[in-house]
Amino acid sequence: MQNRPTITGVGRTKFGEHYEKEPEKLIEEAWLKASQQANIERKDLEACYLSDYFLPITNKLGLEEGFLSELTELHAPMEVTRSFGSALSNAVNAIQSGRHRIVLVGGIEKMTDRWDKIRDDLMLLEDPWSYYAGCTPEANHELMLRAYIKKYGIKGENLDKLNTALAQISVKNHLHATRNEYAQYQRKITVEQVFNARREARRPLGLYDYAPISDGAAILVLTSEKVAGEFIDTPIHIVGSSSATDYLTYPEREDMTHFVATKIAAKNALDNAGISHSQIQLIELYDQSTVMEMVSLEDAGFYESGKAWQTIFESCQKYEGYYEKDGRRLYVNMNGGLKADGNPLGATGGAQIFEIFTQLRGEAGERQVKSAEELKYGCTLELEGFGTKSYIYILGRD
Amino acid sequence: MSSEPIERRVSYLGDRLKGSRCTICGKEYFEIRDYCGNCGRKSFGKMASSDLFYEEGKIDVCTLVNEPTNKFTKLGNYIYGIISFHEGKIRVPGRLTDRIIKSGEQIDFSTLEGRNVAPRFRRRYSVDKADVIPTISLAFTFTDEYYPHQKYKIVKPKKEYDTPGIVGYGVYTSKFRIKEGSIERSVPFIDEDSITAAVEAGKLALIHSGIDSTLIGKIYVGSESNPYAVKPIASKVAQVLKLGEEEDDVQGVDAVDTEFACKAATSMFKDATSLVSYPKSNISHAMVIGTDNSQAAPRDCPGGELDLFVGYGAAAYIFGKSDVIAEVEGWYSCTSDTPDFWRRDGQPYPMHGGRFTGDPAYFKHVRKSAQKLMERLNLKTSDIAYFVAHQPNIQFPVRVAKELGFKEEQYQPMLLVVKFGNTYSGASLVGLAAVLDIAKPDDRILVASYGSGAGSDAYSLVTTGQILEKRQNQKITVKHQAENPFVEYVDYTTYRRLKVGM
Repeated sequence: MQNRPTITGVGRTKFGEHYEKEPEKLIEEAWLKASQQANIERKDLEACYLSDYFLPITNKLGLEEGFLSELTELHAPMEVTRSFGSALSNAVNAIQSGRHRIVLVGGIEKMTDRWDKIRDDLMLLEDPWSYYAGCTPEANHELMLRAYIKKYGIKGENLDKLNTALAQISVKNHLHATRNEYAQYQRKITVEQVFNARREARRPLGLYDYAPISDGAAILVLTSEKVAGEFIDTPIHIVGSSSATDYLTYPEREDMTHFVATKIAAKNALDNAGISHSQIQLIELYDQSTVMEMVSLEDAGFYESGKAWQTIFESCQKYEGYYEKDGRRLYVNMNGGLKADGNPLGATGGAQIFEIFTQLRGEAGERQVKSAEELKYGCTLELEGFGTKSYIYILGRD
Repeated sequence: MSSEPIERRVSYLGDRLKGSRCTICGKEYFEIRDYCGNCGRKSFGKMASSDLFYEEGKIDVCTLVNEPTNKFTKLGNYIYGIISFHEGKIRVPGRLTDRIIKSGEQIDFSTLEGRNVAPRFRRRYSVDKADVIPTISLAFTFTDEYYPHQKYKIVKPKKEYDTPGIVGYGVYTSKFRIKEGSIERSVPFIDEDSITAAVEAGKLALIHSGIDSTLIGKIYVGSESNPYAVKPIASKVAQVLKLGEEEDDVQGVDAVDTEFACKAATSMFKDATSLVSYPKSNISHAMVIGTDNSQAAPRDCPGGELDLFVGYGAAAYIFGKSDVIAEVEGWYSCTSDTPDFWRRDGQPYPMHGGRFTGDPAYFKHVRKSAQKLMERLNLKTSDIAYFVAHQPNIQFPVRVAKELGFKEEQYQPMLLVVKFGNTYSGASLVGLAAVLDIAKPDDRILVASYGSGAGSDAYSLVTTGQILEKRQNQKITVKHQAENPFVEYVDYTTYRRLKVGM
């Protein structure tokens, strides 16, 4: 396992609106933290993998690699992808193959620089035919919820419970974010607020069901297990990873109620890690909406399809920091999730890794998971588009 | 959309809802595919082209969009959802059109889901006034409401005629109306214009005629409210309705727009008739469409009197020599340079020469063309079952009919201006359609159009026995649209907003 990919340092900025900070400032801020933790200098980097969706549009930076070269004064290989998960996947391959020893994976997004047009950009990227037909970034989530309710025949009291469970997801994520100094929204909300926003919107989901648009950056340093020992004491390994892809056009997919890409990626990542669901104690999910968190819990294989809401509802009756089913606890979105931590697309996956890394090392401070058993494995799920791509990373400590 | 090639592709696929079907496994695709994902290499060359343009779908799930993306903001609130066709074998995204959602209106989505819908050809979203107008058929209406679903069944011609004539027709008006005093007028929904009406009317005419659209060798579209100063409506109609043989994305059809105020379309009846009769034209069928969403200044502005009568709609007629429902017996046209109505280039609204409009203009020309034609064909008013005239208001056609000696039962059926308003290029054609909807075999119909500027075309048509059998093909008749329980009435402010469009 000499070439097992290992994270030696992570850094991030606060997510939110950073109109006063240029992209390089955000990257620098995250890099300083990550490099200090990893105990390396710029010149130690053998390659850089950067992710952003919209920098060419929002900040007119078309050739991001050159921009990064200028920032780092490095002439190493650099590649740019959309999601942090895809950048990390390239980095993992480079380390595993032995091609590089130390690489940087960074994500950056400045969505609020184009707040008035970003929803059109997002929708066109995510599902162009639906965009042409009048879809919004929110509508697909609501259609998925409608389809879910129909498919599983949820009605009456159960439908009320499902709707409440979705509200509780948002309330729970906001609660977690109050302990996260980097989170965009560090304040509590109530189930009533979620319901009121839905009523006001006259739609199945409202303002508090959706993640915001955000600015921010996240960076990690990836080395091989062997190299990591030269720099730090508590490295966190990527013990399993996988990704899968689904159709761009949501209505053309076979299943309207689930993300097949996540189902495939999750299974493969677990196989890859050689562990089972029950060994995963915490997970950072891609909750662009509350529905997405619920459905993803099912797709990643933690709860039975059509039933995650029951576990969420029960667990949130007296919420103690985790979802619990059959005595098994699952800590979900400890950083507040996309809903409250923020969602600067290219950096979001970095914040998820940041959280699992920090939790596994026991350095999460106020929001540190206090599990009876020692934390060993955590997992991240990042999506691109409306579930068009799914990236799963399983992190573990020695 | 700033990219013209993308715009063209989205329109090419989306206007007709083009797709593919694997002839090996039967899997269906929205968008054109060269191969089937299931069958792989062996499916190359075995993909059949298909489209959903004439199909009926079902709305699977839906939600409300009340915070649309930027390009859709002018549409306001709308229902958006997923539409499935062919028992769920193929699904597309779509928005419900022809629906005004009031602010604060609570919608129970379960009352909409599961209901059947049919595609409507509409503007896609708003763009800059200088850009190409994007269109799409991913807009739907419920088939249990104003527009029922109709199959397009191509029938092998049964009978050839010596005299050419009408082989099919269709009238399209919107679901919305404004009612003021004794007159109701059709109001386009915000995503409609004279292009979308032309396509919808043409679609209805094809359905009624039962002829293969590839047989149509020429399409004329007469309009005075083309949203483009330069660019034909006819090219859009030809492509969406697949007129003529299609090869390499190009339709083997001649398409042209004509303009002469309200007679732009009737003028081409004789051209279409002649064209299908000329043995060397190699054209067996020609389509003529009159379509208008005429501009009208607001009431308190110069030209604002037009705002009292302007309607919206289109009528399409297919001419040929097989399975004719009404033979064209003869015609007469007259013209003089009488500028009673005009719109200068670049001006938003037409002007109207008030004192000319009646006698030196409308009455003189309509009377003359009708009288001359009757003289030529040696007809008395008693030989004519129905008289149809252009109808800019109620008084004019009634007065001219009486002057010509027609009785109420001869002219009453054509008076649709009270239901749809003045549909300009479509006005006399809508009147003719109303008459054809009820005519018996061997009825003679005299049509006299009028176009400001000025001129009139008179035609004598004689119905055949086949008019009765073809009537079965058309559910969306003039009466269906005039007396439809799903008609929605709007106030003046809403009417102006909808008319200005996206």
